[in-house]
Amino acid sequence: MTETRNMKRPMSPRRKRYTTGIILALLVGAVIGAVMQLGEPSNGTAGLVLLGDTPLTPGFATGAAILWTVGLAVCLVIYHRSVDDHEEHAYLWAGLAAWYTFTLSAPTWWVLHRASLAPAPDVMLLFVGALAVNVVVWLWLKYR
Amino acid sequence: MNNKLKVLRAMRNWSQAELADRLDVSRQAVNAIETGKYDPSLPLAFKLARLFEMPIEEIFDDGHEGNDDD
Repeated sequence: MTETRNMKRPMSPRRKRYTTGIILALLVGAVIGAVMQLGEPSNGTAGLVLLGDTPLTPGFATGAAILWTVGLAVCLVIYHRSVDDHEEHAYLWAGLAAWYTFTLSAPTWWVLHRASLAPAPDVMLLFVGALAVNVVVWLWLKYR
Repeated sequence: MNNKLKVLRAMRNWSQAELADRLDVSRQAVNAIETGKYDPSLPLAFKLARLFEMPIEEIFDDGHEGNDDD
């Protein structure tokens, strides 16, 4: 039995699909981020160029938009076909927490801006805020 | 919800990872069920029942005593 425990078990088809989905998603993000960073060597802080609002070339913007939409959609299909019960539960609650974060913050910021009490809403900041909540809740539910 | 998963697993001398492989779920899922932080879905509960060859209600205890027909 001890030998069985110490042996490296082969990945199940579900785990293979899961790993593939995660690696593909990371690659999509890495490719877009790397190209953007290389395109603006002097203008952006490393790693933060994705969140900036400097102009992009139409060719790159089109490519990035297609890669993001199609690439991420494919990754998400693979991911959802391979996650187990427990992770799906974590994912759904994390998504809900992120949605609530957006629902509470976006209209609040918008009405404050219309009364000149706040600067114009920053879409990327709202996105990153919701994403951060999503990641924290997901990690907590999966690994606590 | 309380359950006997840890005991049943120990009786078979399986690690959490081994049980996870048999159920085709992650080790974190087994750990979360064992520690009562996560209640499995009905399909996973049936899978556990088949694996341990026991009725679901002998593995999981919702704390409700008595007959539901009462």
